[in-house]
Amino acid sequence: MALVTIKKNSPQHIVLRVLAVAAVLIAVLWVPTKMATGDIDSMTNALALVIAASALNLVIGYTGLISIGHSAFFGVGTYATGVLVSKYGWGHGWSMVLGALIAFIIGCVVALPALRIKGIYLALVTLAVAVLFPTLVKWPKLEWLTNGARGISGVRYDKLPSLPILGDLKGRDGRAVFFYWFAILLVAITVLVCRGIVKSRVGRALIAIRDNEIGAEVMGVNLAATKTIVFGVSAALTSLAGSLSVARTGVVTADGVNLTLLGSIIFLVVMVVGGAATLTGPIVGAFVYVWVDNYTRDASASGNGPIGWLFDWSAISPATIILSAALILLMFVAPDGVVGLIKRISRKFVVIR
Amino acid sequence: MGRFLQYVFDGLSSGAIYSLLALCLVVVYRGTGYLNFAQGEMAMFCTFLVWQIHDWGLPLWLAVIVGMGVGYVAGAGVEMFVIRPVAKRSPFAVFVVAIGLFLGLNSLAGAIWGAPPQEIMPSLFPNEPKDFQTILGATWRYQSIGILLVGLAVTGALFALFNKTRFGLAMRAVASNAESARLVGVNTGRVLAASWGIAAAIGALAGTMVAGTTGEVSPGLMFSYFVYASAAATLGGFDSLKGAVIAGLSIGVIEDMVAGYAPEWIGQEMRLGVALIIILVVLLIRPTGLFGEQKVARV
Repeated sequence: MALVTIKKNSPQHIVLRVLAVAAVLIAVLWVPTKMATGDIDSMTNALALVIAASALNLVIGYTGLISIGHSAFFGVGTYATGVLVSKYGWGHGWSMVLGALIAFIIGCVVALPALRIKGIYLALVTLAVAVLFPTLVKWPKLEWLTNGARGISGVRYDKLPSLPILGDLKGRDGRAVFFYWFAILLVAITVLVCRGIVKSRVGRALIAIRDNEIGAEVMGVNLAATKTIVFGVSAALTSLAGSLSVARTGVVTADGVNLTLLGSIIFLVVMVVGGAATLTGPIVGAFVYVWVDNYTRDASASGNGPIGWLFDWSAISPATIILSAALILLMFVAPDGVVGLIKRISRKFVVIR
Repeated sequence: MGRFLQYVFDGLSSGAIYSLLALCLVVVYRGTGYLNFAQGEMAMFCTFLVWQIHDWGLPLWLAVIVGMGVGYVAGAGVEMFVIRPVAKRSPFAVFVVAIGLFLGLNSLAGAIWGAPPQEIMPSLFPNEPKDFQTILGATWRYQSIGILLVGLAVTGALFALFNKTRFGLAMRAVASNAESARLVGVNTGRVLAASWGIAAAIGALAGTMVAGTTGEVSPGLMFSYFVYASAAATLGGFDSLKGAVIAGLSIGVIEDMVAGYAPEWIGQEMRLGVALIIILVVLLIRPTGLFGEQKVARV
């Protein structure tokens, strides 16, 4: 039995919600004003992961279609921006829009097998897509477009606007702050799109498909259309994260971390660690992931940080080892991720009904 | 003619390894119904162990046997202590755990044996430049012949195990209906653990042979082989041992032919693409593969 029970929409509930929103706002404002440039950059990295993991969450968490091919959609975004800006002189904004459109179409096509097959077979199809993408952009026959293994460089977005509310945007600090706010904007769009889908008729259809496909179909859910469109939307959102990374770094290579299978796995880890099938899960997961990654990166050199002595035998950064151990452990102790765990614990103290 | 035969022979040799790994995937799938995404990485890790044992002074053939033994125990242990507890929860949890194993074993191997400097691996078979026979204009390297023979021997042994022994009968019973098998007294837990163990042991052997052909062990050793093996298992129908072998060998040959006859289109870069396109096409047109059983679900 919970200690406190709060009625929905009672004054206490509203106060709690206002406090939560205020905490988020303070955190969002804290990063660009108080933090060092390097830390702002890692926050922007985390925000890019929020976008990709939220998109993946639509497909895996809500619809129950396993995908490890989302790195390819991230890649579509990076290459769309890279190619359009460097070869055809497009603006970054429009290249982002077209990239999302292309990713949407490719996502719908990838979803076609999902209409007939499920489970591991679908995972295999998406695995094929993830592995095929880097091979395809390095293919000599496509070199005229993608520059092959050399990649594209010099497509950084440099026309920083001088908006008074963002402060003085100059030099490296200014870039970091600008892209932080830009990432916040994209995250807001992503979260709103996901929320809009999940809380609507479509979202209920997705969950019905996940929990009982035949039941959903009997209840009148159009399986083919729903699955196809959700996969397409998810792909389009993921490509936004890709375009964002290109505009920031100005470099596109086929072997970039987020473009290969490893990228898909990272998105999956972020989503699972945060909590699948929750809107806040990918957000929490991304920050946990980036924190663990930064915290443990140098731990292999002995005497580095509090956990350095544990890993001084390691030849490389132990970040991935720790993350994968945490992932396996999480499936035992908290299969619903960090958010699920927090919900479960807080329900012991406060119940909102 | 010589060129054609050469492609067939080279293809069969690499296809033998795809078949072996595909057999691992199928053995695990038949038992537990899961695709073990970490199969290739388990094989890679065992190969590093084999290298380490060999480096400590044991002859390579003995090191392989020890490595296979360790692989068997580790594979069975993973099934018993990691997969089985989460399998009660959901298939997705098993998938996540397999991804965790994939990532963890890969980075652990890199951490223990060093990421960039690759270890030098000797071959199980004579592999000097002079070790070949020319038959009908094609070069038959002893190394490739050895891989093919070992592949056939292991396949034969597996078929014998499945079809001629009591244990094989128990495995087939679990594969067809685990619940009924348990009711008639089959120790399903032991069967499942054993199938993971057997798969891991075969993986250790396959990994050592792969490392022998490339001459080095690295954390990325088995990744492309895992993709080929998944393609083979898919083409063969995932629950058919016969299908995995035939599909593995044919993918090896097809891949070599395509890369050899269309070098400017496929070449070395798009070889993996052939396997991936096979996965896509098979799953789109005939999801049960060539020899797979049609799954009929009761609603």
